[in-house]
Amino acid sequence: MSDQHEVVDLPPTPGERLRNAMKARDVRITMIFGVVITAFFVFIGLWFYPKFMPEIMSESMKRGKDVIVYFTVISAPIAGLVIAIALYTLFDRHHGDTPPEEAASFRTHTPIVFVWTLVSAIFCIVAIVWGLTEMNVNSEDATANAKTALVVEVTGSQWVWTFNYPELGVQSEQLNLPVDRPVEFRVHSVDVNHSFWPVQLGVKVDANDRVTTLAHTTPNVLGTIDIKCAELCGLYHAYMETQGKVMKEADFNSWVTAQGGHVA
Amino acid sequence: MSTSTEHVMHHDAPEVVGRRERLGVRLIIVADGAFIFAMIFSYFYLRNLNVNNGWLPADGHTFTVSSGWLLALPFIIAAISHNFGQKRRESMGVLSIVTFVVLAIGLVMQWSQLSNMPFMLAEEGGFEGAYASMAFFLGGANLLHYVLGTFVALGIAIRTKRGSSTGTHETWRLRTAGSWFTWLAISAVACAITTSFAAV
Amino acid sequence: MTTLDHAKVSESRPNPPKSLITKLNMGTGMIVGIVFAEVMYFWGKSMWDRQEAVMENRILTLSMFAWCIGFLIGIGAFIGPFRWLIGKDLTDEEQLFLAGKGQGVSRYFRYCTDHKVVGIQYLVGVMVMLGAGGTMAMMIRTNLITPGSKWVNAEIYNSLVGLHGITMIVALIIVSTGPFGNFILPIMIGARDMAFPRLNALSWWLLFTAIPVLCSAWFFGGIPTGWTAYAPLSVQAGGGMNAFIVTIIIFAISSAIAGANITTTVVTMRAKGMKWNRVPIFVIGATISVAMAIPAFPSFMASQMMAAFDRTIGTHFYDAEFGGSGWLYAHLFWIMGHPEVYVILIPGVAILMEIAPVFARSPLFSYTTAVVGLAGIVGLSFLVWAHHMYISGWLPSLNGPFMVTTEMISIPTGLLFLVLLGTIWRGRPWMKLPMLGVYALLWNFLIGGITGIYLSDVPADDYLHGSMFVTAHFHYTLMGAALTGAIAGLAYWFPKMTGRMLDERSGYISFWLVQIGFQVLFLGMFAAGSQGQPRRVADYEQAFATSDLISTIGAYLVGIGMIVLLYSVVHSWRKGKIAPMNPWGAKTLEWTVPYPIYLENFHEAPVVTSDPYGYGRSEK
Ligand code: HEM
Ligand SMILES: [Cu+2]
Ligand SMILES: [Cu+2]
Repeated sequence: MSDQHEVVDLPPTPGERLRNAMKARDVRITMIFGVVITAFFVFIGLWFYPKFMPEIMSESMKRGKDVIVYFTVISAPIAGLVIAIALYTLFDRHHGDTPPEEAASFRTHTPIVFVWTLVSAIFCIVAIVWGLTEMNVNSEDATANAKTALVVEVTGSQWVWTFNYPELGVQSEQLNLPVDRPVEFRVHSVDVNHSFWPVQLGVKVDANDRVTTLAHTTPNVLGTIDIKCAELCGLYHAYMETQGKVMKEADFNSWVTAQGGHVA
Repeated sequence: MSTSTEHVMHHDAPEVVGRRERLGVRLIIVADGAFIFAMIFSYFYLRNLNVNNGWLPADGHTFTVSSGWLLALPFIIAAISHNFGQKRRESMGVLSIVTFVVLAIGLVMQWSQLSNMPFMLAEEGGFEGAYASMAFFLGGANLLHYVLGTFVALGIAIRTKRGSSTGTHETWRLRTAGSWFTWLAISAVACAITTSFAAV
Repeated sequence: MTTLDHAKVSESRPNPPKSLITKLNMGTGMIVGIVFAEVMYFWGKSMWDRQEAVMENRILTLSMFAWCIGFLIGIGAFIGPFRWLIGKDLTDEEQLFLAGKGQGVSRYFRYCTDHKVVGIQYLVGVMVMLGAGGTMAMMIRTNLITPGSKWVNAEIYNSLVGLHGITMIVALIIVSTGPFGNFILPIMIGARDMAFPRLNALSWWLLFTAIPVLCSAWFFGGIPTGWTAYAPLSVQAGGGMNAFIVTIIIFAISSAIAGANITTTVVTMRAKGMKWNRVPIFVIGATISVAMAIPAFPSFMASQMMAAFDRTIGTHFYDAEFGGSGWLYAHLFWIMGHPEVYVILIPGVAILMEIAPVFARSPLFSYTTAVVGLAGIVGLSFLVWAHHMYISGWLPSLNGPFMVTTEMISIPTGLLFLVLLGTIWRGRPWMKLPMLGVYALLWNFLIGGITGIYLSDVPADDYLHGSMFVTAHFHYTLMGAALTGAIAGLAYWFPKMTGRMLDERSGYISFWLVQIGFQVLFLGMFAAGSQGQPRRVADYEQAFATSDLISTIGAYLVGIGMIVLLYSVVHSWRKGKIAPMNPWGAKTLEWTVPYPIYLENFHEAPVVTSDPYGYGRSEK
């Protein structure tokens, strides 16, 4: 990061300038602060934040979580730098009704502006590349699994979700899924917009009237999924939720049969 | 919070005020342009989506293409006549009246187009589909432009008649009004082009 | 108003011209407005007597517009245009009357063209709106204090969320550019008034007419759609939605007018010698903000007009059965919506950039960088709207490009941080209330910015979209950055606007209560969102109970802090310490005029020879 470049007094070569700047007391203290605060944010990102995420039951959910965790880690040094500088300036405060003495006149400093811009551009590119890659993996998975995926038609209506398994001839208000089998959700609405959100699967897609939207994922852990609506859809939006289960293939098949469907 | 013991109003030079007013009007034109753009965007977006084949239902009706262009014509004539008169001030007396009359006729024509829409669903009082809705909206915007244009044209005609329309400041104002009329013509043409693409 | 004010005003009352304008004021406006609305209502009832939603919406919408137009007629807004029409322009005397010459307090209730009066009108208006919105926020949080609390029912809850949202958004759009953009900005650039004083009054009174309309939503069933008013839900919604639609249309017109006015003022009326690189950064920020609204808001207005037509005459812009589309609404809304968040944010940041040099006694670090940063944000903000539609399914293949443009905004945003940090670095901060805002912004905007990067990333947004996480994120930017900046601006310019200092002790208390409460409130909300609590929900599960309880506690702290601030403002305005002409030793032009400010601001037009940031040892 660029915290080393803070202040420079005008010695000849850039290298010397940098070394001189680093000797300044305020720069050093700021850097120490910066490191400590960076460490704090890294800790929040890696250890503290994930505690707030629900159980991770698919690769897509894991990718979403990773983005948050690692973006926190990458941005920690920037946050550390900003906070360290701000904190350091607070060491020498002035109170009273008359202005403090004038500070050094420090109008601009091209190298700093340049380095700052460069670093934030790099950060930005990392974020973009990361995001595009993950997105790409998600959609490649979807294409690869297109043939084998279990199709579930999801219908949102004020204020219930219904699930239809066209290949299996089952209709249900409960979403059951076999573990490790890719699913394709085909989502639509029969009234206003809703948003289909199986929380632990980490995917989400809006339900629109007379248009079908798609979401793909592969549940890979057995357990319960909370299904919510993430788009305000009127009076009982808050209660438009249900639960689903990721179950063993065999259990799923017997559920299908019990519902009067046929197992493929 | 402010008080004063002086009784005079400060006046800037007429050119300065004139330039200022022109910039103000141009900014308002930007806003109006964004509005027209939003409508044209919506038109083509809905046409392109054609959800449920509802853009233009199988037995749907449209305005005739020529009516759109016919309704742009008064704006074009008005823009020409005003801008011409504004450059040759001696002809302004007649031309300001021409501008006003043409726009007033346009206003009536636009009104009658909107009161005889071919695509209303008789019993429910609704519109046939998305095209019908958009065409109505574009026509409504045109109507609003006619109202605003007619108002400005009427003012200019009256002021020219009364002779209040002299002096540097007024020259600037006529020029500024010129940009407004030109914009009205441009937007009417844009709408006419848009409605020329009715069927999918 | 202040006693200072009265004393001088009452002695010099010029003979008002004997024209109609002298008789009109807010009262006549209200009377005419109410008459118009009533007439429209009963005429509508007789025309369309069927008991159908369409007819009722039609009558309500038209009556609301009739009120607005009637009010404007009654207060005399159309006298100017009418006199122009018939070729009898307003005389100097009449214009002086309109400028409020010698009218004391009554000019605050008239169609007054003095920018200083308009500034105060905006200030009071904004405070009322923030108070209303804040009260609703407290009610929202009270209902969410525990799961299953049925303090208000779902219908009222949804209305509270919608009204809180739109009230706050409107208030924050004008919170800086209204009061300070009108009162301070012209003085800052050495102008005698705004470029179009009558339009200035119009922009305020138009906005004023929208306030009762918005409040009336409560009586017609509320706004059940949230402030985003997504269609087709908004088409289905009850009578309160009409109030929302009318408010937005009026507000869009008002802000286009205000935007054209402020922009023209800054472009054409700067003092002699004030080249573009000598313009105070707040002026740049405010201008950018209002100028951005000019192309952005008409799209919102169009979207609401379409909703109005769908609701009142049976068009089908948003009804998929007849070829309409909810995505169309989302596009129009967010084409306005994303620029709009910067319309809100930029003036707040610009105020703090104006404040930081004064209180750190060091020049604004790299003026060019600041301008480039602001301009970069503006440029990009028109290209990112669909990041709000990642999961709407409209065209998933465009999510990538929109993600790229969105994340690029982090670069110009980073420049703004650099400017602030560079300015305070090696300065000795003077810990007055305005300066505290700079530090609060650095922290809040940092959190808001970083969480924004998560949300701009598609795989993360797949999870976070529509959750409380989003709510927490945008409060960090809107409230933590923009509102903090506006409050700092109030503390900073209070002496110039009221002639008195803002009380410090209550100011500090309020600052700390609000800022600490704010962290508790929204860090709790980040947690709830990450755990999977959707936003805009009247109720939630046990799993989110702790996070929500924490949030509510924070909210109450903020609420108390805001009440203290209100006390501080009211108390100081009436009895505060009389302020010297330039209490902060600042170098911008507004500090060179004494209070009360002369009607045309300057007796002699000022001449500018440098930028206003000549602080620092070598430059004294
Ligand atoms: C005391 C301070 C505040 C508290 C406690 C508060 C609380 C809340 C809560 C609980 C919500 C509902 C979240 C949801 O379920 O989606 C909300 C929504 C919102 N708030 Fe605030 N808020 C405060 C201040 C502000 C401010 C200053 C703004 C300024 C812009 C603001 C703008 C909004 C907006 C735009 C929404 C979205 C409404 C919607 O979903 O339609 N809030 N707020
Ligand atoms: Cu919902
Ligand atoms: Cu956005």
